[in-house]
Amino acid sequence: MTASATAGTLQSLAAREMRGGRLSTAGFLIGPATIFVTVGLLFPILFLFRYSLNDFKPGVLMIDAFTIKQYVLFFTDPYFTAAFYRTLRVAVVVTAICVVLAFPLAYVIARTQSRWKHLLIMLVVLPLFVGNAVRAAGWMTLFGNKGFLNVSLQWLGLIDEPLRIMFTETAVIVGILAVNLPYVVLTLQSVIEGIDRAVEEAAFSLGAGPMTMFRRVLLPLALPGFVAGGIFCFILTMNAYATPVLLGGPQFVMMGPLVYIQFAIKSNWPLGSAVAFILMAATLVLTAAANLVVQRRYRR
Amino acid sequence: MTSHSIVDSRRLGRWALNGAAGAVLGFVLLPLFFVTWLAFFRQEIPSFPPDGYSLRWFASIWNNPKFFDGFLLSLQVAVTAMVVGLVIGVPAALCIARFRFVGREALNSLLLLPLVVPGIVLGTSIYVFHVEVTIWTELPILGSIAGLVAGHILIVIPWCVRLVTASLAGFDRSIEEAAQNLGATPVRTFFRVTLPTIRPGIVAAALFGFVVSFGNLEMTLFLVGAGRTTLPIAILQYLEWKIDPTIAAVSVLQIGLIAGAMIVTDRFVKLSRVV
Repeated sequence: MTASATAGTLQSLAAREMRGGRLSTAGFLIGPATIFVTVGLLFPILFLFRYSLNDFKPGVLMIDAFTIKQYVLFFTDPYFTAAFYRTLRVAVVVTAICVVLAFPLAYVIARTQSRWKHLLIMLVVLPLFVGNAVRAAGWMTLFGNKGFLNVSLQWLGLIDEPLRIMFTETAVIVGILAVNLPYVVLTLQSVIEGIDRAVEEAAFSLGAGPMTMFRRVLLPLALPGFVAGGIFCFILTMNAYATPVLLGGPQFVMMGPLVYIQFAIKSNWPLGSAVAFILMAATLVLTAAANLVVQRRYRR
Repeated sequence: MTSHSIVDSRRLGRWALNGAAGAVLGFVLLPLFFVTWLAFFRQEIPSFPPDGYSLRWFASIWNNPKFFDGFLLSLQVAVTAMVVGLVIGVPAALCIARFRFVGREALNSLLLLPLVVPGIVLGTSIYVFHVEVTIWTELPILGSIAGLVAGHILIVIPWCVRLVTASLAGFDRSIEEAAQNLGATPVRTFFRVTLPTIRPGIVAAALFGFVVSFGNLEMTLFLVGAGRTTLPIAILQYLEWKIDPTIAAVSVLQIGLIAGAMIVTDRFVKLSRVV
């Protein structure tokens, strides 16, 4: 009796000790990274928000205050609202095109089993890894007045005067599209890979054509991939920097470059912080809303 | 008859799909192709068709110290951030994958957060934070290399966490228990059993961490400090001014470096399995 009680106590003691030991091991493992991200990211975002409530006077720069003046200024000044709506418009257009264009490539990669698959993935990842500025340089070579596109079109006799493509919204949309496509392709591809091929075959053997099969079988099953890829693409476009700066030029201001202009060129830290905060908030709210709408619509 | 036409339409669909996929891949690779082409032009103006071809622009890179200094700084920062990021990120990933505790999901999300927060917001918030810390502590943190590296470590951590936890997803814990039952110490078990399992994840995390840090532009713009430049910033600033074969040659070197890193990594880990 006593012996078994002692054994029980010993056992529970040992278990507690082990649990304590494991917990301290866990803390030891994850502690440094947690502290690093908290101090390096969470605190800074709080400071950013605090700065956005400060006041600004040209010449004096930042004045400690507690005001929503910067936010009011942003939403009442046509220069800023124009930049905001421009960014939204580009983000929506790019996301819509991107999701459509990504599908064929994602599908082919997902369903290829040979060593080509490996090569295809490497070819999709390489541009992703090479910086945005480098890719913008490629588009600049194509889009200039004497660039490849204009010279080819003139040679074919389709146009007399070179088209102005550089520093237009079209150039920016094309540039961002190419930047984002690899992300969306890889997201979509991993989802399609998880869909059993037999499901497609079943649809075909029941007499469905490719379009019907896509619409009735593949699309509903791959929807999470489309949503995740689309959201990813939307976030990336909202916050694009190098592509709009290089292909859109100084007149085509999007939100990302606007933050930099306010911070580095105008030295208006409160307004710059407010713009950054609005950008982050708009991105988060819109992606959450999109997620909700899609989930609700397709739950039935 | 009907089945015949369905087979035909399937074959047609297959061709259309392959064609579309090829076109999209071509579209994504197009800018890389043209920037490479431009690097070999003889004339300085990027007009088509080229007058001829030359290698001299690759030599002219060395006359522009901004690119060389930028490359060196990018390399130093990326290597440091990658190593430190692995040292604190891999244990965190192990902890998330192996331990069950309250708030584990929240911690996982926290560690992945630097991936979700846009680069511009990351840059501005860290900049503002450095301003405040510099005022409080009177240490020269704002615009310092240490501050720059700390920012880069931040964006390496989520890749370590993500890729290493993924590599442990299907791991059977009983193998570790078996090792310990056979008398292996926890340390020995880690090095002989756990580490070989997560090695592909670590190698992939090293590659992604390096590439993400080396190529980072938005956050770095705010943290780089006066009088310094990284390679992506040097490329951006040059392109804001003009496009010519010199910058194209720099771009080609960067494409080559990244492709080389991918091929070397691919010998250890099949990249198509990790991405």
